[in-house]
Amino acid sequence: MNSVPADGPDPVRAEITLTVNGSEHRLGIDTRASLLDTLREDLGLTGAKKGCDHGQCGACTVLLDGRRVNACLALAVAHDGADVVTVEGLARDGRPTRLQEAFLAHDALQCGYCTPGQLCSATAVLDELGRGLPSAATPDPAAEPVPDDAEIRERMSGNLCRCGAYAGIVAAVREAARA
Amino acid sequence: MIPASFDYVRPESVDEALEALTDAGEDAKIIAGGQSLMPLLRMRLAMPDTLIDLDRLDSLRDVRDDGDAIVIGALATHHRVLRDPLVRAHAPLLVRATAKVADPAVRHRGTFGGALAHADPASDLPAVAVALDAELLARSARGERRIPAADFFVDWMTSALEPDELLTGIRVPKPGEGWGVHYEKFHRTAQAWAIVGVACAVRRDDGRVGDARVALTNMGPVPVRCRAVEEALAGGAAIRDAAELAAEGTEPPSDLDGSAEYRTHLAAVLTARALAAAAAV
Amino acid sequence: MTDRLEGWEKVTGAARYAYEYPLENVAYLAAVQATVARGEILAVDAEAALGMPGVLAVLSGGNAPRLAPVDDGELAVLQSRRVAYRGQFVAAVIAETPETAAEAARHVRVEYAPEAADVLLRADHEGLYAPEKVNGGFPADTESGDPDAAFAASAVRVDATYTTPAEHNNPMEPHTTVALWEDDGTLVLYDSNQGPSAVQSTLAEVFGLEPAQVRVISEHVGGGFGSKGTPRPNVVLAAMAARVTGRPVKFAVPRRQMWATTGYRTPTIQRVRLGAGLDGRLDAVIHEVVAQTSAVREFAEQAAVPARMMYRAANRRTRHRIVRLDVPSPSWMRAPGETPGMFALESAMDELAVLTGVDPVELRVRNDAPEDPESGLPFSSRNLVACLREGAARFGWDARDPRPGVRREGRTLLGTGVAAATYPASTRPGEAVARAEPDGTFTVRVAAADIGTGARTALAVIAADALKTDLGKVRMEIGDSRLPRAVVAGGSAGTSSWGTAVVRACEALLVRLNGEIPPEGVEARASTADEVRSRQKYARHAFGAHFAEVAVDLDTGEVRVPRMLGVFAAGRIINPKAARSQFVGGMTMGIGMALLEESIMDEAFGDHVNRDLAQYHVPTCADIRKIDAVWVPEADPHLNPMGAKGIGEIGIVGAAAAIANAVHHATGARFRDLPITPARVLAEL
Repeated sequence: MNSVPADGPDPVRAEITLTVNGSEHRLGIDTRASLLDTLREDLGLTGAKKGCDHGQCGACTVLLDGRRVNACLALAVAHDGADVVTVEGLARDGRPTRLQEAFLAHDALQCGYCTPGQLCSATAVLDELGRGLPSAATPDPAAEPVPDDAEIRERMSGNLCRCGAYAGIVAAVREAARA
Repeated sequence: MIPASFDYVRPESVDEALEALTDAGEDAKIIAGGQSLMPLLRMRLAMPDTLIDLDRLDSLRDVRDDGDAIVIGALATHHRVLRDPLVRAHAPLLVRATAKVADPAVRHRGTFGGALAHADPASDLPAVAVALDAELLARSARGERRIPAADFFVDWMTSALEPDELLTGIRVPKPGEGWGVHYEKFHRTAQAWAIVGVACAVRRDDGRVGDARVALTNMGPVPVRCRAVEEALAGGAAIRDAAELAAEGTEPPSDLDGSAEYRTHLAAVLTARALAAAAAV
Repeated sequence: MTDRLEGWEKVTGAARYAYEYPLENVAYLAAVQATVARGEILAVDAEAALGMPGVLAVLSGGNAPRLAPVDDGELAVLQSRRVAYRGQFVAAVIAETPETAAEAARHVRVEYAPEAADVLLRADHEGLYAPEKVNGGFPADTESGDPDAAFAASAVRVDATYTTPAEHNNPMEPHTTVALWEDDGTLVLYDSNQGPSAVQSTLAEVFGLEPAQVRVISEHVGGGFGSKGTPRPNVVLAAMAARVTGRPVKFAVPRRQMWATTGYRTPTIQRVRLGAGLDGRLDAVIHEVVAQTSAVREFAEQAAVPARMMYRAANRRTRHRIVRLDVPSPSWMRAPGETPGMFALESAMDELAVLTGVDPVELRVRNDAPEDPESGLPFSSRNLVACLREGAARFGWDARDPRPGVRREGRTLLGTGVAAATYPASTRPGEAVARAEPDGTFTVRVAAADIGTGARTALAVIAADALKTDLGKVRMEIGDSRLPRAVVAGGSAGTSSWGTAVVRACEALLVRLNGEIPPEGVEARASTADEVRSRQKYARHAFGAHFAEVAVDLDTGEVRVPRMLGVFAAGRIINPKAARSQFVGGMTMGIGMALLEESIMDEAFGDHVNRDLAQYHVPTCADIRKIDAVWVPEADPHLNPMGAKGIGEIGIVGAAAAIANAVHHATGARFRDLPITPARVLAEL
């Protein structure tokens, strides 16, 4: 009943260098490996989560060369030389960021599995708002976006939270955006 | 799921890319941002022997002024398109629509050229290219050609690109003064695929809409240009009446998110909204 | 207002979920799913897969370890040639890397003798039968008075059929297990579940071990919503694979495979008949439910159970019928029974309000039950009326014009709706240990699971109260089957059950403490079996009321919920901060249920078609607008030492009905089938 060819090609391997949270790593990887699996399995950085592996949930969001991306949709081999920041790299010297504090203060998390992605995404939202990048919720794309709830909700909508902590997430991002 | 094995090639120049494409033949697949291709690889809907990664072709990322048009490099990310001053000045419709493509994380990797070459009728940007009468610049070892957007989308997930051709850029004509634009997208949740989308640009003439360009997302195997709506508007029809013609000549799909009948209805409703929003500018 | 104790770990990525324990020499599992909905496996050809470099083993019915039979047929993994549903695990590949395992799984050839499959639930299905018990241990049918005659004689009658679709829990963390066998024969499972004690005892049974030979570690769990309340096939498969390969084996069920293998809410077809006087007072309540189960496991969703205690009526019948179909096994999903059942009952109450002209809040107040209508037992506390009144005041209900379809702003119709909520307040037996450390701190141990509920924090608050000490002096240890035995985080009974044991252990400890604490510390253990069993008989339930505002787009049929408020009466609220998140989270899932969520069965393939998060829509951040939850004070001395009722599920109960009722108020059209999609709405406008 299965019509898959039996002689699938052998794994193809490649060497890459990644800087993750400030540390450089030289890695031998399978060309099929996603950036997410490379972080989690090869580097033991399990902060970025695997929720769907198809770019539909946002749990794997990391900052790649300063921009948020879904690590499950990035081939590790394609990012030789890249600079990656995961949730583990947000706080410096054990000091929480404004966002991390606001997430705790507003209970913007429950089970916590989407939280690393939410935080990386929210970190990028603050940056994107600061650079005047419009979103679908920006009334006039030519004008400076205002960090109101509509903007924040729209910009955070790539990160699903099944526990339903959205109300807290929006409150936390709003507070951090206005701090 | 994990993709099947493939050889991975990362050319450093367009010429190298064309060479790799010729060498690998029909079993090669080009990856740009990979936001559409990666899920297909994962689900084994695409199983290339060779993956040609264009990520290093920085020359294809820029946006440049070309007199009566702007040329957007095929590898310009959606994120780049959103903030590029030339695009914002001369292709505001593209900005509006790009802000509605998937979610911000996808927009950081996904590229304008990739979204067009992928030729998914449910994705937002093909209709924009059609509405704006963009031309797609295709290069091969045989030379370069310009393909009008209307001819580029051949069938469901099928473009006019030959196997040895690379999409290098998109030439978007400057519209001139007085145009208003809008992209109206209807979906079940924020960031979901469009059930129907409407891209439009209109120019007001004596208080009424004269020139209009309208194209639809996800109303058939390829993006649809709504000539009937445009002609009706040119002939003096009111927006509401013209919009009723939006679904003319379309072959809307029926799927879990909407029947063909519902899409036909949506096409008219959303076209009226898009035109009204664009005309108010 | 206490922050989550594990909050810092969760916002820094340090919290370890099941997949994330660093282990040496790990192998990876990829499962092969049945491609027919019913039939016999004729042969499994693993040769090609085994020939691939890096493949360690291929497990299938032919070579899988034999397991002891248990009640849940889903756990008889690879024990039979029969295929019970499409997507059932029929083989597994274990390999050195996840990439190789996934690739090799595609090369395992399974040959089937397919049989005609029956996958669609129908109210007139010839296979419908009355289960002995429905979920929760309730009888399938109850009857009092003469409901048919009373209904026939009623001045006002509602007779309507409501349907809810299959819905999938979809916790963000997939069902995940890392299994390893130690040299002494101990099975260690890092597992994502709602109760390590339950996984321990079930897996011990399956593998013929003593419970002490199974250790289950579940320190952080990325949601479950019921789907991780019982061990699913993934944990058995991982344990078998680890035994066969002699290696630790990791298996996270891919999102698409979760649809078939990790449970879902059954679709329901519910007929509700309400007979009332012109004043809206109920004389007859008849609630009849049809639902499905699978060929390998009987699960009977208890959707008519809330109709047994919700409103006063002299004549009543509730009935459950289920049919075994060739479908994946339905299971618990947030408030099983109450969630679909109260959608039907509370929609019917709204229909009755419209027919009688009695205000929907007043109608519910008028029918409030002074004691449990069926058992005659007194309620330990019942503050439904207080919730309705408080909600009405906060929401601005009194200014509401009851006429449907008259509030229009441009091309938008506006409406508001209300629905009541209820959920049993259960307490189950369990154990806990409290320990005084020589440094003046305390350690409290119980094998509870925090699946995002805030249980760890709530238990620490409870312990600190009982020990009369500061929260900062209490260290909670949960999420490990070696800790004192505990019930699952399910049935909203977790905090109540665990908390009772924690209080008793702390009390026992205080009795033993006199002055100096010796270097080895002082410890006290409590078991609540006797206490729970000998409790006075009461009907114990939490109550609530949802108020929703909707905006309906006249041109597209799209429904939005700009505002929603839930008011709850759930005893003492232990940690207001996390409690609010629980209520609001349930309401958010209720918005999804009302408007979005539906797993669609393809009759030809015998499987759900929309098996991913791009096609199974759940609310995103932008889909949730103004939403809040509050509670009324409630002192109930008959519950547990904390005076608290469970709050994990009631937030979703009735939420969909409030929205459907608001849509009726906005449009004048009644939507009895969920979800309320734009196309369905448009067809009625």
